[in-house]
Amino acid sequence: MTDPNPAPAIEITGLTKDFALNLRGIKLRAVENLTLNVPEGQVFGLLGPNGSGKSTTIKIILGLLDPTVGECKVFGVPSGRVDSRLNVGYLPEAPYFYRYLSGEELVRFYGRICGVPKKVLKDRVREVIDWVGLSGASHRRVGTYSKGMLQRIGLAQALVHDPRLIILDEPTAGVDPVGSAEISELILKLKQQGKTVLITSHLLAQIEDICDRVAILDRGKLILEGAVDDLVGLRDRQSLIVDSLPPAELDELRGWLAARGHVLNAVEQPRTRLDQLFLSKVSRPKKEGDSQ
Amino acid sequence: MNTAFPFPLAGRPVPFSLGRLGIVAGNTFLEAVRQKLFNFLLLLAVALVASAQLFREFNFGSSELKFISDFGFGAMVFFGSTLTIAATAQLFFSEIENRTALTILAKPIWRTEFIFGKFLGVFAVVGVFCALTTMLLLALLYHRETALMAANPEAFESGRIIHYGDLVLMGVLQWLKFGVLAAITLLIASFSNTNLYTVVMGFFVLVICHLQYLARDAYGHVASLPLRLLVRLLGYMFPNFQVFNLADQIGIGEGISAEVFLRVAGYALIYIAVIGGLAVYSFRNREI
Repeated sequence: MTDPNPAPAIEITGLTKDFALNLRGIKLRAVENLTLNVPEGQVFGLLGPNGSGKSTTIKIILGLLDPTVGECKVFGVPSGRVDSRLNVGYLPEAPYFYRYLSGEELVRFYGRICGVPKKVLKDRVREVIDWVGLSGASHRRVGTYSKGMLQRIGLAQALVHDPRLIILDEPTAGVDPVGSAEISELILKLKQQGKTVLITSHLLAQIEDICDRVAILDRGKLILEGAVDDLVGLRDRQSLIVDSLPPAELDELRGWLAARGHVLNAVEQPRTRLDQLFLSKVSRPKKEGDSQ
Repeated sequence: MNTAFPFPLAGRPVPFSLGRLGIVAGNTFLEAVRQKLFNFLLLLAVALVASAQLFREFNFGSSELKFISDFGFGAMVFFGSTLTIAATAQLFFSEIENRTALTILAKPIWRTEFIFGKFLGVFAVVGVFCALTTMLLLALLYHRETALMAANPEAFESGRIIHYGDLVLMGVLQWLKFGVLAAITLLIASFSNTNLYTVVMGFFVLVICHLQYLARDAYGHVASLPLRLLVRLLGYMFPNFQVFNLADQIGIGEGISAEVFLRVAGYALIYIAVIGGLAVYSFRNREI
């Protein structure tokens, strides 16, 4: 039977994390009284400047750090427990994997660690490698991969055990716009499959495009949280995009609006975004991941 | 991706697994043998063992075969200790510094499995090292003994004088000693911040373990009770590596009883278990 009130993918309550700086008891507070819920099935952006506590929060979610105060649960299981990580896939920032393994060996290694049964492991490894577009490079040593390929093989190892929650720490750091767009596409596909994705990134335009909700941290404190549309949309204003409106008719429209008590605030020429222009002009590499 | 690909991971308990421990150990072994350091030390040790017969004119009065045996085991101990400390520190800190530890510990794996997996990986590497150098030494001794038997048959009237089985036991004991040393190095690494500190401390403890019997002999019977207790405590804290040095008893001599061998092996295994447990405890509290 389905639970009518399933536990959130991530449930953080009153979380504070202090790091001891020296033996005299001086501490650095990395996260302060953070309360945050990440509902299942959403793409959630965790934003903030460097040193705002994002990575510390992620490490606590993954059980790599213990909270000083408060608690963190993953699908209802305290994050310090090993079984809380059964349903979590993690791609670290600037991933560095075992250089002496091939891509396929690497994903197989993590699959075995995660307990993927032997009888399905081989197929599963091929499937995720194919899914991230690295089939053609799966037998090459990871040490020869480009940054974009490292991110993609990192995504494959994060997905090999079919987790419900995927945590991506700066997945596009150091990746060119084409690779970055491809990672965005993969994240949206994960969302379509019902996965929950927690992502941190400094590329705010990318976050805006793919996230349902965001939280902004600053100096360890939560300063803003909500649905992206609610946060960035200006609800008391509308924009109309019209093809080839002559000046005379524009004046007529302005008069029509004024007669009804409205003001036409701006008439602008719409612009395409630079990243979209870039992606439309450059050729995308082959899916096999052979781009360098 | 085929989303209808379920396997029952969700909601199951995650007990301690020897399988996962073995996977970490296997990967550690693979990483070690692909490092230049391992190959270099192995090559150097093999060269030194093989060169033992070149120095047989300088046997300082002891018999030639005994000299070759001592020289060979000396090379094994020197390079084996270096390899054990350097490889353990390097294989541990490569995970921390390259942040591969983040990725692996974010999986459903116990830190106990990770630490003992690392230990077993290093132990396997050192085992290969000991096996190769021991086999080479045995071959060398056999070759030389055969030559001497042909040249001086009257000196070998009662057959071969080398106890080859005992030499194998000596190789096994050296391997176990390196296991204790690897556990000590891993314990230091579990709370240390740098590779260099771990290596320096590892060699420091190695010297203490080799020389602690001198302190016990010198201060073990002094009148002052606190000093006596301190020396005894240090004697338990640091394993006595002299107990592994049976070269005078085995090989070319009266041989070694199974009881002595098992007692020394048990001594090593107890220290490995206790020190390994301390390393796990320390690593569990480490913030990655």
